[in-house]
Amino acid sequence: MKNKYMFGGLIIVVFLGVMGWLFTQTNVAYVSNFESVINSSKAVKATGSWVKEKRYVFDSERNTFSFFMSDETGKQMKVIYKGSIPNNFESCTSVVVTGKYHNGVFQASDILTKCPSKYETQMPANSKT
Amino acid sequence: MIGDILITLALVAGVFTVVMYYLTYKGYENTKNYARIGYHFMAVMVVAASALLLYAVLTHQYQYKYVFNYSGSGLPVGLLISTFYAGQEGSFLLWLLFTTIVGLILMDYTSKRGDLEERVMMVFTFAAVGLLTMISPLLKSPFEYIWVEDNFINIKYINAQLLNSPFIQNFFFQDPGSGESFVRLGKELYAVLSTNGIAINNFLIQGKGLNPLLQNFWMQIHPPLLFVGFSMAAVPFSFAIAALIKNEYKDWVKQSLPWLLSATMLLGLAIMLGGYWAYGVLGWGGYWGWDPVENSSLVPWIIGVAAIHTMIVQKKYQDKGSEGRFVKTNLILSVLMYVTVLYSTFLTRSGILSDASVHSFVAPGQIVFLALLTFLLFFLSIGVGGVAYRWKYLTNKYNFEENLLSRELALFTGSVALIASAIIVLVGTSAPIFGTAVEIRFYNELNLPIAIIIAFLNGFSLLLKWKQSDGKNLVKDLQFSGAAAAVSTILVVLIGGVTDVMLAVFVLTTAFSLFVNLEIMFHVIKGRKSHLGAYISHAGLAVFFLGVIATGGYSQHGQVELIKGQKAEIFGHQLTFTGYVPIENGAKYAFNVEIADGESKSVAAPVMYIAEFNNSLMREPDILNGLFKDFYVAPLGYSDGKESSSDGGREVSLGKGESIDYNGFTITFESFNFPPDAMQAMMGGGEFSIGAVLSIDKDGKKIQAEPKLVKQGESQKYVSAEIPEADLKVDMKSMDAGGNVILILTSISDPASAEMNKMPKEVLTVEASIKPFINLVWAGVLIMVAGFIVSASRRTKESQS
Repeated sequence: MKNKYMFGGLIIVVFLGVMGWLFTQTNVAYVSNFESVINSSKAVKATGSWVKEKRYVFDSERNTFSFFMSDETGKQMKVIYKGSIPNNFESCTSVVVTGKYHNGVFQASDILTKCPSKYETQMPANSKT
Repeated sequence: MIGDILITLALVAGVFTVVMYYLTYKGYENTKNYARIGYHFMAVMVVAASALLLYAVLTHQYQYKYVFNYSGSGLPVGLLISTFYAGQEGSFLLWLLFTTIVGLILMDYTSKRGDLEERVMMVFTFAAVGLLTMISPLLKSPFEYIWVEDNFINIKYINAQLLNSPFIQNFFFQDPGSGESFVRLGKELYAVLSTNGIAINNFLIQGKGLNPLLQNFWMQIHPPLLFVGFSMAAVPFSFAIAALIKNEYKDWVKQSLPWLLSATMLLGLAIMLGGYWAYGVLGWGGYWGWDPVENSSLVPWIIGVAAIHTMIVQKKYQDKGSEGRFVKTNLILSVLMYVTVLYSTFLTRSGILSDASVHSFVAPGQIVFLALLTFLLFFLSIGVGGVAYRWKYLTNKYNFEENLLSRELALFTGSVALIASAIIVLVGTSAPIFGTAVEIRFYNELNLPIAIIIAFLNGFSLLLKWKQSDGKNLVKDLQFSGAAAAVSTILVVLIGGVTDVMLAVFVLTTAFSLFVNLEIMFHVIKGRKSHLGAYISHAGLAVFFLGVIATGGYSQHGQVELIKGQKAEIFGHQLTFTGYVPIENGAKYAFNVEIADGESKSVAAPVMYIAEFNNSLMREPDILNGLFKDFYVAPLGYSDGKESSSDGGREVSLGKGESIDYNGFTITFESFNFPPDAMQAMMGGGEFSIGAVLSIDKDGKKIQAEPKLVKQGESQKYVSAEIPEADLKVDMKSMDAGGNVILILTSISDPASAEMNKMPKEVLTVEASIKPFINLVWAGVLIMVAGFIVSASRRTKESQS
């Protein structure tokens, strides 16, 4: 058997295997229907829009930022994010939050705000390395 | 009009050129000259179109929808120029412009090397034609007029003097939601304005402008450099297809290697400049976030690096007169590099990643989506199809074994490891297409072992000899670097506290490769300096890896609330917020924070402001750059204490029957307790109290509490209710007409929080981070670039023989 195929093949097979497994461990589905979000037991990325009328509350003591989101069917959900107000929040109504629904509230570890109709850099509220 | 004409002419010329080059390859006379004329004509048209767009942007020609949407008046010149590529159409045009210019150089280069020109330029021009199609009037031209489709323009962009004109009145529209007024600008209004002799760019006097996040120096560097990298990636692709067309593989590697090196270098540099921008200016806290758009441009880079190494092997053999090695691999990798560039642009521009990335363009519509996909699939087919067509011949002709202890095998293994990494990044990045995303640890956990392998081979492969190494000699050569690496690793582990096994191994292999390359550099520098390129780049990679280990594994970050004038301690530093000052003519505010770490004192001044552009809070960090670490201060928020009188505790408003969570307890406001004799007392001016009946429960256990407001005549005082089980003290702040009670919740165990706010205090909340040895990251990149430059010059000379 050719040396290079053995080495190469081994590396690829091992990594494909590990990758496949790790993928199942780390994947987070995008969900746009809050009914599914509420019933889900795993973390999800919920997509929807910010309910402007209900404003937002920033609790600097606890460092939480809470607001309401609505999905495509109009169903609303309260979101509490551990962190401060994301940049662009006022003007970017489309939001993707990562986390889990628990006790009537969606606990978000990450928020991505999306601005309408422009090329933009949107602000992640998570941290990078 | 004229812009569209220029693009269309360029497109026609491009197609003509491709055909002419094809005919030249087939042996027809004179067609080469026609091809060259065609190409030059296309180039002139592209340059003219670019000049036109630049002119439109500089002189605010808002009749162009693109100029209105992405540009604005009042920007400094440099940024105004950068609005050229702020949107889809313009950035495609910029890419096209660079491609055209690269092609001119390529034409000259290939014309001196046999019958290369017609084969390479045919493919390369075809790539340019693809880009031209994307911005042609059929799809998305940057020169589309704003009134071609109905557009609702906010009146703030319109010349106020014209707003009262009678003929406009019918076109007004008010948005009930926001209350803002718009004018419907479409063909009808255009006709009306024309009849009245009003030019559109007189009617529209302001554009939507450039997003404030993009308004800085790096916007002028990062995107253009990225597009240069993309343009150059088409060159090795063209060489590969050229070789497949002729079914001849003797020279293409030698000839395309300098181009591959340059493309990979520029692409890598552009990517890391983006990282520097994110870190230093945008305040994203780091230089790499495994964001899908970042990742998608990293994939072609990784493939380019893999290709460089396997191509070096092929070249080495062919220089010595023997058959090439890794011939199929090199063809496939060169093809994949450009295909992944196209895939990257597809992901970015198609809108597929809009829920997943901070970089995404707006979704461009069905037609453009399909066009992008077609562009990608077309070139994928050409590439893969070409290789498949010649597969049998290639397999029969080039069939070799490599020895275990040979440099060839080591390089091949390294390339495979790189490709594995590229696959990982590709899979994670493409996940959103299937409605799911991966957590960041997917990338980190999978890439770490690969990085270890690469770091190891980064050194080990250079100790192996070509064809075969002698085991004994190998061990001898290993001694110095192995020992030095071991010693360094022990030092790092002990002093740096690197306890994670994987990271320690990573340090070991990285240090090993650094010492190997330094050792070899030491020998080579006395001889042929032109050969230093590889060792410089490898050393640079090692330095980069060390920086990544330090910042990736050992960064610290935490949030601090800085009360003005008071010292707060974090990470061994004392921070004092001293106040804010307006900067840039009052447009922004710099918040000064004194930072002392025992001996020295510095001031960091992160910036916050509300951007007019979108009424959002903008934040910019400040960084204290040290030699061994960066102290990073990112502003999170500021309160001057005047609006919220929360007394250091948490203020909540509850209606009857409503609940709120506190420390795991649920606090429900049951009702007001307004005892019957209170009414009388109130009338009589006597003392009376009103209480808020609260029930606090957790896991079925219920406690009652009643904070009170005690009034006597004019004076009033508050009586708190304390619930030790919940570490809670509740005060009633007030009631409102709607029957809601406003409560203040404070923690019993932390009474300081209740004492503090007797008067409004200014508080700046920041996230402070320590980034250890981040300078190694930037230094590593620069060293790698230097090595690339040396290698590219060497290989350019060698390609001429």
